[in-house]
Parts: sequence; structure tokens; C-alpha cells
Amino acid sequence: MLTLASSVIANETSLVVAIHVSAGVETLTRDQVINIFLGRFRQLPNGHLAIPIDQDSDHPIRAEFYRRLVGKNPAEIHAYWARLIFSGKTTPPREAESEEQIIQWLMTEPGAIGYLPADRLREPLKAVFTLDP
Amino acid sequence: MHKLSWHRSILFRTASVLVVLFLFLGVFALTVTFKLNQSRAEEESIARLDQLLDTVESTASVACFAKDDVLATELANGLLKNAEVLAVDIFAGGEKLTARRRTDAPLPMTSDAPDEPPLIRDVFSPFSPNLRVGQIRLTPNRALIEQSMRSELRLATIQTAIELALVALAVVAVVLLQVVRPIKQISDGLHGMDATRGDRLTAPSHHKSSEIGFLVEDVNLLADDLVRALDKERNLRIQREMDERRYHAIFQNVETGIFIIDREGVLISWNPAFERLMQLSIATQPEQPIALLDLDWKEPIALAEILLNCLNSASSVSRDLAHQRANEDDIWFSMVLTPIGNGSIQGVIHDITEHKQAEESAKRLAVTDPLTGLANRIGLERRLADLVEHYGQPHAFGFSLILVDFDDFTRINDSYGLALGDDILKEAASRLSACIKNTDLIARLGADQFAIALSNIYSGLDIECVAKRIQQRLQPPFFVTGSPVLLHASLGIAIYPQDSNEGASDLLHHAELALAHAKDKGGNLIQFFDPLLALAIEERRHLESELRRAIREHEFVLYYQPIVDLVEDTLVGAEALIRWRHPERGLVPPDDFIPLAEESGLIGEIGLWALEVASEQLAKWRAQAIQLYLSVNVSARQIPDGLPPETLFETARRHGCAPQSLALEITEGVLLSDFGSTAQWLSKIREQGFPVYLDDFGTGYSSLSYLKRFAVDRLKIDKSFVRDIATNASDRALVEAIIAMAKSLGIEVVAEGVEDAEHVRLLRGMGCRYAQGYFFSRPLPIDAFYAFRDRIPLLLRNTEEH
Repeated sequence: MLTLASSVIANETSLVVAIHVSAGVETLTRDQVINIFLGRFRQLPNGHLAIPIDQDSDHPIRAEFYRRLVGKNPAEIHAYWARLIFSGKTTPPREAESEEQIIQWLMTEPGAIGYLPADRLREPLKAVFTLDP
Repeated sequence: MHKLSWHRSILFRTASVLVVLFLFLGVFALTVTFKLNQSRAEEESIARLDQLLDTVESTASVACFAKDDVLATELANGLLKNAEVLAVDIFAGGEKLTARRRTDAPLPMTSDAPDEPPLIRDVFSPFSPNLRVGQIRLTPNRALIEQSMRSELRLATIQTAIELALVALAVVAVVLLQVVRPIKQISDGLHGMDATRGDRLTAPSHHKSSEIGFLVEDVNLLADDLVRALDKERNLRIQREMDERRYHAIFQNVETGIFIIDREGVLISWNPAFERLMQLSIATQPEQPIALLDLDWKEPIALAEILLNCLNSASSVSRDLAHQRANEDDIWFSMVLTPIGNGSIQGVIHDITEHKQAEESAKRLAVTDPLTGLANRIGLERRLADLVEHYGQPHAFGFSLILVDFDDFTRINDSYGLALGDDILKEAASRLSACIKNTDLIARLGADQFAIALSNIYSGLDIECVAKRIQQRLQPPFFVTGSPVLLHASLGIAIYPQDSNEGASDLLHHAELALAHAKDKGGNLIQFFDPLLALAIEERRHLESELRRAIREHEFVLYYQPIVDLVEDTLVGAEALIRWRHPERGLVPPDDFIPLAEESGLIGEIGLWALEVASEQLAKWRAQAIQLYLSVNVSARQIPDGLPPETLFETARRHGCAPQSLALEITEGVLLSDFGSTAQWLSKIREQGFPVYLDDFGTGYSSLSYLKRFAVDRLKIDKSFVRDIATNASDRALVEAIIAMAKSLGIEVVAEGVEDAEHVRLLRGMGCRYAQGYFFSRPLPIDAFYAFRDRIPLLLRNTEEH
């Protein structure tokens, strides 16, 4: 039930990249979001470290997010990371077990940045980039 | 046989050319191949490297995107596994992620040489294809390529060298077999060939139809031509030798003398005939040179002249030359000289002595009378010309020319024959020669005519004296075969200069006129030339030419004198009489021109004309049914050939005249002339029915016996008898006798010259039936003649007998 509902949501709902308002970031560009999530620069515009958080690998929203962000399917994203993991220079984003956990980490961990369906956004999280369907 | 040095042989040349050519070709081909291969190898290498880069592109993209130097190094190491890669540099953004270089790479040939420019491949972000995140620089391993190229080149070189060497060998072999050997074979064949014996080359086997075969054929054709040319040449040589022998024989045996002299005039060659003609003794020949001019020429100067002419004109010259002989007459040679170059002259002489003698005698003959040995006419004319020239000078006197001609000499020839006549002429010549000085000229002009020219004798008395002497000398009888013959001579004399205006021929002509005059006067006379004589003759000539014109221009006309029948008192006919209507002199009576016309023969034409007109007139009368006859006079000269009977018949027939109406009047003279032909003419005419009248009866011989012999139709008593019958009893008796005699012979009579009524009465009384004369009418033109007819009864009214 839930999965089905999520997938429906995932297809129709806008996704937002959210960060704690205290991070002091107003908005991010698509490239900035890509750099952060795909391990290129893990820094916010203000120089603070950015810690990207992925949804659970099975969560449809994760696939939807990368699809909307870089046009890649999860296998491709996986292959990408497989190459980098080998050298150990960078790592894929931390994987949350659930949406709740993402929100938890966003609230609590400084520099944490994640993505949510737009309707799950709450205070003090703030959307810095939106991916419309 | 030629010694062939090996380095000039075709084989060697071919091989040399091939080696040089193939070396050049090989190097060129290898160079081109190498260059092409090299660039191809490089291109292929680059393509391979490109492909290599393609395989690592996505990994590179990740490495560069993530700036993962470890991944980049791994990637570079992977690329270096390929031997063609010398070095790999990977950049991400501005920083170098890794730089790897092959360590086992052979050093480049030149260590200084920079590396091959690297293959550069931009690396794009795996997530945004437009975002360049890095660069791979891949340096190709050029040394490797070059190494492989070198080995390839070596291989190709060896291969090419072997190929070319094989080709060269093959070509050399072919040349040897197909060209050199056949040529050698032909050459050997030619050395052993004797074309004149019929030897010919045979083409080497398998070369019958090749160029070699054609060459052999051509050589054989050439050999044929050569053999033919040689044959021809040999025949020509034989022919020439024969000709030379022949010419030599001619030279030796000919009757003509042939010689050659050099520029000094010395004889250098001559034939036996020349020796003989020139009486050269053979003994003198070798001793000393003989000059042509030194031979015994009568006129050496003339010979020298033609020698010079010959050399100067460079053409043939000829001349007759006399050669002196001891104790002999001169010999004449015709010499022809021809320059033969270099001052030499070839000469030909032949003996023309006989020819010369003949020529001389011919010259003499031309002016000499062979019978008497006197000058002939030509000789006389020449001499007269000389005399005229001489006496034409001022202060010279004059000379005279006497022509002597025997009267009736033809009688002598006829009676005694020509040979005896000639004897008399010879005798006469010697008598004449005795009459004159030997400085005077005597000539025989032909037949029995002689001419004597007396120098310095020009007075009439002196000449007459000589002339009489001549006549005297000719008077004594000439003895012919023992019997004496008497001859008379007539002499005609002309004197220069008084009797000649135009030189010698004029003088001779005048002498001839004088002679003719002497003869006319009966002969045995001496007659001096009289200018009046010349004048009369000139007039005669003029009249004759006028007569000719008159015939041409139709100036003659016929007049008609009526003839009346005294019994019936009617007009029966007319005598047609000719008149000349001269454009200046008016009507000329026949007596003024008929004698001349008879002499000159023009009477024939005039007579024919008269016949024609009379016939025309008769035809007209016939058409008008007028029964009259016409009589036409026929001259003695017209019979028999001037008016052939056939012409008469033809004319009458053409005009349709009855023969009985056209009478022909002839004179007694006709009957006298030539009995036979005249009699024939008369009988032919009369047989055809044309009446013949005897005109002027009684004036001539009037022999009544003629009347028996020649049948005539009428007599016309001459007017001289009729005129006086009234006054002269003897005339009257004569006329009466004639009429009576005629009647007894059955011949009609016409009385001419009837002038008055008394005549008519008397004639009637005598029984004369026809009359003609002025009592009736003069001769009338045809128009007046018609008018006359009606007057006859009136005229005759007073003549009836009392």
C-alpha cells in the first residue's frame, strides 16, 4: 500500500532538496546539487561541508531524484559509484533507512542535505532546489 | 668481319639501360610506397589510439568528474598496456590528475626530436555532456611505428629487387633470343653470301613474318637490285667498248680527214685519211711537231682567220681551202673546225675538188650557151648591166645592141632536123664573131636569135655599117650535108643611152621591139628602135587592159542590122554586130578593138558573150512569136577551140532557140587556115542544124573551090563589090557571076552594103534574094530595130522595077 502510494507520489510530486535553515543557504543551482550528491565538491556555497543523504536504495523517490537531476537510472548511478569506491577518494552519499531518518538527520546533523517530496518539507528545513516532475 | 667489343653489344646496352631504369624505378616505387605506408600506418595508429580512448572514455569521465587521481592513474596504466602508447597525461580542470610514461620505450632515433604531438581527448562530465571536466593527452609510440615501417621497407625492397632482377633477366634473354641471335645469323649469312651467284639470305626460323623476316626480304630485294644494276653496268660497258671499237674503226677507215690540234696549232692526233689527204709522210710524224698552218695551204692566212674565229666564237666554223700540190692541180678541202675546249680544236676535212670543179663549170654554164660557146641570155644581161653601169658615167660615150634573128628558121629545123639546124647556128655564130672586135660581146639568146653589143659605137651611121656587114656575112649560103641553104636575117638595134631610160633590160626590150618590127615588115631588114614603136605597143597594152575591163564590166552591147527579103519584101532577120560602149570614148566600132581581141585571145570570151546575148534575143522573139533569125560573127581565132560546138549547142538549148534561127558568119580566112579541124567544126555545127554563112565573100582568096569543099548555107557578098555595081560594070559582072554560081550550088546569097534604091533594083534583077545595108538601116540598138520593121514597105516602094 505504502509503496504503491509512494510511487504514485514520486511520479506526480515535486521533489525538493532540503537543508536546515541554519546552514545559511538560500538556494542551490542544479550543478551545485549534482556536485554535492555525486561526490565532486562536498561543500556548500558558504564553504561549509555538505553531507548528502540518499533515500533508501529501494525507495522509489531515490530513483526519481537521480532521474530528474542527471537523467540516470539507479544502475547507472550505481556503476558510477562503483568506479569511485575502488579508489577510495570519495564515497557515495549516506543512505538513510527511511524518510523519517532523512528528516531526522537533516534536522540534526550540520551540513546534512537531502531530498524529499515537496509535501514532506517542514520547519526548520528549507528547500534550496526544486525538481518538478 | 667486325670485332664486336662487348660493351657495345645490344645485349650489354639493353642490360645497362634496364639496370639503370630499374634502379631508378625501384627507388622511386619504394619511396612512394614507403611514404604512403608511413602515413597510412600513422593514420591507422591514430585511429587505433582513438578507439582505445573511446574504450576508456567513460571511466576517464568519472575520474575527471570526481578528480579521482587514483582512478586516473589506473586508467593511464591500462592505456600504457598498449605498446603503441608512449605516455598518458590526464587533466581535470586545471590540475594534472596523472602523468604516466612508458619506461621500456626505445629511445627515439634522435633524442632531441620532440615527441609526436599527443592525441588530445576532452573529457566531459558523465552527467552533463556539455560540461568539460578534464582532458586526456595520449602520446603515440612513434618509434614503434617507425620500427615496423623499417622492417616493412626492408621486405619490400628485397621483393622489388628480386622482381626487377627477374624482369631484367627475362628482357635480356628475349633480346638475346629474338634480336641478337637472328641478327648475328643474318650477319653471318651476309658474310658468306655471293649475290651475283644467286645466293640469298634465308630468314631465321620463326622470323619469317617478323621485322627480322622483312629485313631479310628487303636485303634480298636490295641484292636483286644490285645484281640487276651490275648486269646493266656490265652490258653498258660492253656496249661502250663495242662503240669505241666501232668509232675507232670509223676513225681509221673513213675517207674524211680528222685531226685535233692543241692551242699552239700543233697537230696532236689525226687519222690515216688526214695523212693521205695532206700527203704527210709517216716518217716525219715522231720527229718533230707539225703545225697545221705549216702544211702547204694556198692561203694560210684564210686558215689562220678561221682558226681564230673558231676559238673566239667557241662554235663550229667551216671554210673551203685550197691545198697546193707539187706538179698537180690544187686540191680543195672543205674544213670544219669545232672547239673542244682548253684551246684545242677538232677538225674535219674532206676533198671537195670535184665539187668545186663542178661548181665552176656550172657557173660557166649558167652564163654560156652550150651549143655555140657564146654567152647565153643571162651572160648577156650581166654584161649589159656592166656596160650600162660603165656608160652611165658622165663623159662616157655609149654603146649599141644589135639583135640578129633568122627569118623563118623553124622551117630549117622542120625540114632538116634539129641537129643540122644546130650546125647552121654554130656556123652563124662563128660568122657573127668574125664581124666584130673581140672586145665586143656576142651572145646567143635562144633558138636562132643572137645579140651583139658594140662598145663605143653609138652613131646611127656606124651602127648601120656594122649591121650591113653582119647581113652580108650571113648572106652566103650555109651548107648542110652538101646542099646550100640561104638564110635571111632581121636586125633590131637599140642604142645606149638614147634608147634606154631604165637600164639594161629596157635596152634589150627595145632592141627586141625593133627586131619584131623588122620581122613584121617582112624580114631581112635592119630596124632601129623607134620611140613611136614603143608608144604604139604601150597603147596596145592599154587597150588590151581596157578590153579586159570591158568584158568584166559588161561594156559590150549588140546592135542589129536588118536583113530584108527582096522577094517577099519582108524583114527576115538581122546580123548581130558588137559595139563597145566605152565609158570615156563612147561607142567604139569593132574595127578598133576586134583585131586586138583576136590577137590577145580575148575574142573567145567576147564571142561567147555575143552568142549568149543573141540567144537571149532569139528566145524573146520566140516568146513573142516573131519569126526572125540572127547571124553572129565568128572569128577565125574562135575556131575550133574558142567556140566549141558543144558550148554553142548548150547555149542554144538553154535559151530554147531553134538552131535554124541562129546563123554563124565565118570569113573565107577560116576556110584557109586549118583544113581538118575547121572542117570538123563546120560539119558538127551544120549537122545540128545551125546555118553557116560565108561573110565578106569575094575579098580574100575567094576560091569557089572552097565552096565545094566546105558546105555553107549562104554567101554574103562583100559590100566593096555591091557599092559600085551601079557604076562599075566589072563589079556588076562579078556580083552577077557570084549570084549565078551560088544559085547553081544551091546556096542563098545576101548582098551587103546596099545603100540606095538602085542597088536594090539591080540586085533584084540579078536574082539576089536577101539584102542588108544602110539603104534599109544602119545597125540599130534593139529598141530602134523594132521600129524599123514597119518602114520596109515604104522603103521598097521605089525599088520596084520599072
